Amino acid sequence: MSLKPRRVDFHATWGAIKDTIKGVITLDHVPRSVWNDRFSDVYSLCVAHPEPMADRLYAETKLYLIDHVGKLLSKVQEDGEQNLLKNYFLYWSQYSVGSQYLHSLYLYLNQQHIRTQKLSDAEIIYGSSDSSGGLQILVQFEKSSCNVCKRYTKVLHTLSDIYRYNDNSFNLTKVLLHIKGLQVLALFEKSVCRLCSQCCKILTSLFEICPCSDTICNINKVLIRFKGEQMEIGELALEVWQSGMIAPLGQKLVKLLLEAIDQDRAGQTLSTSIEAVRGTILSFVEVQGYRKKGQLQLYQELFEEHFLDASGEHFKRDAARLLQEKNVSLYMEKVKAKIEEELFRARRFLHVSSLAKVSARCEMHMVAEHLQFLYSECMNMVQGERCKDLSNMYDLLKGIQNAITVLVDTVLDHIKTQGLAAIGNLQGENIHIGFVENLLAVYKKYKKLIQDVFKSDQNFMGALDKACSSVINHRPNQGKSPCRSPELLAKYCDTLLKKSSKGISESEVDEKLAESIIIFKYIDDKDVFQKFYSRMLAKRLIHQQTQSMDAEEAMINRLKQACGYEFTSKLHRMFTDMSVSSDLNNKFNAFLKQDNIDLGINFSIYVLQAGAWPLGQAIVTPFALPQQLEKSVQMFESFYHNRFNGRKLTWLHHLCQAELKLGYLKKPYVVTVQTFQMAILLLFENADKLACREIKDTLQLNPEQFQRHVVSLIESKLLLADTEELTPETVLKLNMEYSNKRTKFRITAAVQKETPHEVEQTMNSVEEDRKMYLQAAIVRIMKSRKVLKHNLLIQEVYAQSKKSFAPSVQLIKKSIESLIDKQYIERTPHSSEEYSYIA
Amino acid sequence: MKVRIKNWTGVASWRWIANDDNCGICRMAFDGCCPDCKLPGDDCPLVWGQCSHCFHMHCIVKWLQSQTVNQQCPMCRQEWKFNNK
Repeated sequence: MSLKPRRVDFHATWGAIKDTIKGVITLDHVPRSVWNDRFSDVYSLCVAHPEPMADRLYAETKLYLIDHVGKLLSKVQEDGEQNLLKNYFLYWSQYSVGSQYLHSLYLYLNQQHIRTQKLSDAEIIYGSSDSSGGLQILVQFEKSSCNVCKRYTKVLHTLSDIYRYNDNSFNLTKVLLHIKGLQVLALFEKSVCRLCSQCCKILTSLFEICPCSDTICNINKVLIRFKGEQMEIGELALEVWQSGMIAPLGQKLVKLLLEAIDQDRAGQTLSTSIEAVRGTILSFVEVQGYRKKGQLQLYQELFEEHFLDASGEHFKRDAARLLQEKNVSLYMEKVKAKIEEELFRARRFLHVSSLAKVSARCEMHMVAEHLQFLYSECMNMVQGERCKDLSNMYDLLKGIQNAITVLVDTVLDHIKTQGLAAIGNLQGENIHIGFVENLLAVYKKYKKLIQDVFKSDQNFMGALDKACSSVINHRPNQGKSPCRSPELLAKYCDTLLKKSSKGISESEVDEKLAESIIIFKYIDDKDVFQKFYSRMLAKRLIHQQTQSMDAEEAMINRLKQACGYEFTSKLHRMFTDMSVSSDLNNKFNAFLKQDNIDLGINFSIYVLQAGAWPLGQAIVTPFALPQQLEKSVQMFESFYHNRFNGRKLTWLHHLCQAELKLGYLKKPYVVTVQTFQMAILLLFENADKLACREIKDTLQLNPEQFQRHVVSLIESKLLLADTEELTPETVLKLNMEYSNKRTKFRITAAVQKETPHEVEQTMNSVEEDRKMYLQAAIVRIMKSRKVLKHNLLIQEVYAQSKKSFAPSVQLIKKSIESLIDKQYIERTPHSSEEYSYIA
Repeated sequence: MKVRIKNWTGVASWRWIANDDNCGICRMAFDGCCPDCKLPGDDCPLVWGQCSHCFHMHCIVKWLQSQTVNQQCPMCRQEWKFNNK
C-alpha cells in the first residue's frame, strides 16, 4: 500500500477500525494481519486528502469508548452490590490492559496529530500564561454554579459539536454569529464569575479570527481550548473510564472498600479478595497515571480522605478501649503493635504515599490525644529506668511535635538527682577519686541508656549535657559554698600522674585521664581548674614526682584540645623550663670541669621563669644558707649572670630538696629532705644538743616555717625533743637509736599537702586573674565598638569569658567601675546606660 | 661526718632586672612580652643600650629600622649602642 495521502471513505474505514477496537479493548483475539491493516487505516485517515480526518477519528473513538464504558458500567452493576468490587476489578484489569494496546494501535495519531498540539512538559509543570485559562473550559462550565455559565453551556456545547463534524467554516461562522446575536459577550463581561471572564477573552479572540478568516486551522486551535485538549488515545481511554465508571460508582466503591478494610481490621475473612480490594484502590491512581502533575489527586480526594477519616474514628475507639486498662506500659505496647499492624495493612492495600499519613493519623489519635495519660507514668518509668517502656515511649512521642520535651525534662531531672546522689556523701582522704569516678559512672550509664533507648536523640544528649553540667557545677548549701569540682578534678589528675599511683598500668592511667576530660568539659570554672592543675603540675615537676613525661604531655594536649592554646600556654612554658634547666645543668657541669672546681656536693638546679610558674610571691622567706652550699650557690650565680645578662635570680629554698647521707647510725641511711630540714640536721654536725632558739637564730627562719620543719623531723623520729610542746627553750638532739627497715626514704613534709590556706590562696589568685581578664575583655570590646550599651557590653564580655569561666554580672559591673576610675572608659553624657571608650 | 649532703637540687626563678617596669616603646611590662609576641621569656628578650636604657629587643630593633638618619635611643636621644658586656 502507498503512504501517499489519498481520498478515504471515512465511514467504511471507521467501521473496520471499530470492529478491531472492540477486540482490542476486550483483550479478544486480534490476528496480526488485521492489526497491521488497522494500523495503516489510522495512518491513512490522519493523512487523508483533501482534509485530514484525524480529529474526526479522535471524536469517533472517544464516542466509542464512552459507549463501551457505559456498557461495562451496567455489567459491573449487574450482580448487585456484593459483587461490585469483584466485577469492577475484573473489568478494570481488562480495560486498563486493553487501553494500552489501543494506545499502540493509534500510535500514528498519538505521535503525529496529538503531540504536536500538546503543551510542552515545561508548560504543564510551571504553567503558562495563556493556556491555563482555556483548558477544559467546557468541563468547568458544566460544574460552575454561575448562572451565566449555566445558560451558555448549551450554546458552547453546540459550538464544539459542530466543530467535531465540521467540514467547512460556514456552519461555525453561523453559530458564532448566533452567539454574537445573544450578546453573550456583554453578559460575560458583566459577570463576576472568573470563568466568564476567561471565556470572554477566548470568545473575543475567536470572533476576531473567525468571520474574516478562511483558515480553519486557527479556529481549531481556539476551539481546542474550549473543548479541552485532545489526549493520546491511552489517556483518553483512562479519562473516559474515570468519567464513565468511577464518577458514577465511586462513592459506592469507596464504601465497599472501607467495609472490606474494616473486615480486615476485625480479623474476618474478606468477602472480596485482597487482590480486588487493592486493585480497585490502585485503579484510582492508575487511572490518572498519565498525568504529569497531581497523579494522586483522584485517589486522595475520592478514597484516601475518607479512608483516613474512617480510620481515625477507628483509632479513637481503639484508644478508648485500650485506655480502660489504665496501664501505660501495656497501652504503649499495644499502640506500637497497632501502628505496625496498620502500616502492614496500608502496605497491603494502599498506595505507598499513604503510609506516612496512616501512621501519623494513628499517632494523633492514639498518642497525641492521650499525652497526659502517657505522661502520668513518665516519672515512674524514668526513675525505675524501665528501658523497654522508655524506648516505647520514645518511639511513640518522637513523631509528635513538642511531645518529647516532658520526657526529656524528666530524664534530665533524674540524671541530675542521680549525679548529685553519687557525689553527695563523699568523705575521707580520697574524695577526689570518688568524685570523678562516681560522676563518670553516672555519665557513662546514662549515655549508654540514651544510646540504647533513645537512639542517641539530640534532645536527650542535650539533657545529659545539661544535667552533668548542673551536677558538676552544683554549689552546695544553696549556692553559698564554692564549687569544689575544679579542685577535685585537678587532684584526681594529680593522683594519676604522680609516681605513687601503684598497681595501675600506663594504659589504664591514660584511659582514666582521657575520661577525666569528659568531666572537665562540663566545668564552668575552667580557670580555677587551671590554677589548681598548674600548682600540682609545678609540684610534680619540681619534686620529680612525675610518673611519665609522656602522660603529662598527653594530658596537656587534651586540655589544649578542649580549651585552646591560651589555656595551656603556661603549662607548656613550665615544660620548656624543665628542658632548658637540664640543658643548663649540663653546661654548668662542663664549666665546673673546665675550671677544675669541686663543689663538694652533687649540684643540680631548676631555673624557672617567674611569670609562668604558680610560685606565689609571699613564700620567699629569709634563710641563712648552710655554708656547705654557699660555694655551689655562688658559683652558679656567677655562671648564670655571665650567660644571661639582665636577669635576677631568686632562690626558692622552700622548693629545693636534698639527699642526705646519715653516717651516725648503725646502718647508713639516705634521706630525702627539704632544704630547711637539711639545714636543721646539718647544725648537729658540731653539736649533740641544740635549743630551738639557737637553731632558729642561726638559720633566721620565720617561726612558722621553723615550727613546721622541726615538727616533721620530730615526727619522723630523727630528732628527739625533751618537752611535749615546742618552746624556744626546748632542747633537741639527734636520735642515735634511729632505725628503719628501708635504707632510703623521704621525710614527708607537711608542706606538700594542699593546706586549706593554700586552697584559699589559689581561690584568691583566681579572683584576681578574673578581674584582670574581665577588664582586658572590656577594654578590647570597647576599643573596637567605641560606644556600647550596658547590656550589650555585659553580653559580649560574658560570651568572651564563657570559655574559661562564668563571670557573675556583679563582677563585670565592678570591672566596668574600676575601668571608669582608671579612665579607660566613661559613661556617655546623655545616658547612664551607655559607655564610650577613651582613646 | 654525721650528716653529709649527697645531692642538692636547687630551685630558683628569674626575672628581668631593668631600671623601669615598662618598655619605653610599647609600654608593656618587661615581665610580659612585646605586642608582637605571644609569650614572655627567652623568645622575647630585653636588651640594654650603653645609655643604660632597656627595651624589648623586638621593639628597639623596629625603632632603629624606622630611623633613617641617626640611630638614637628613644628615651635620651643619645646615639644607640647595644651594651654587650
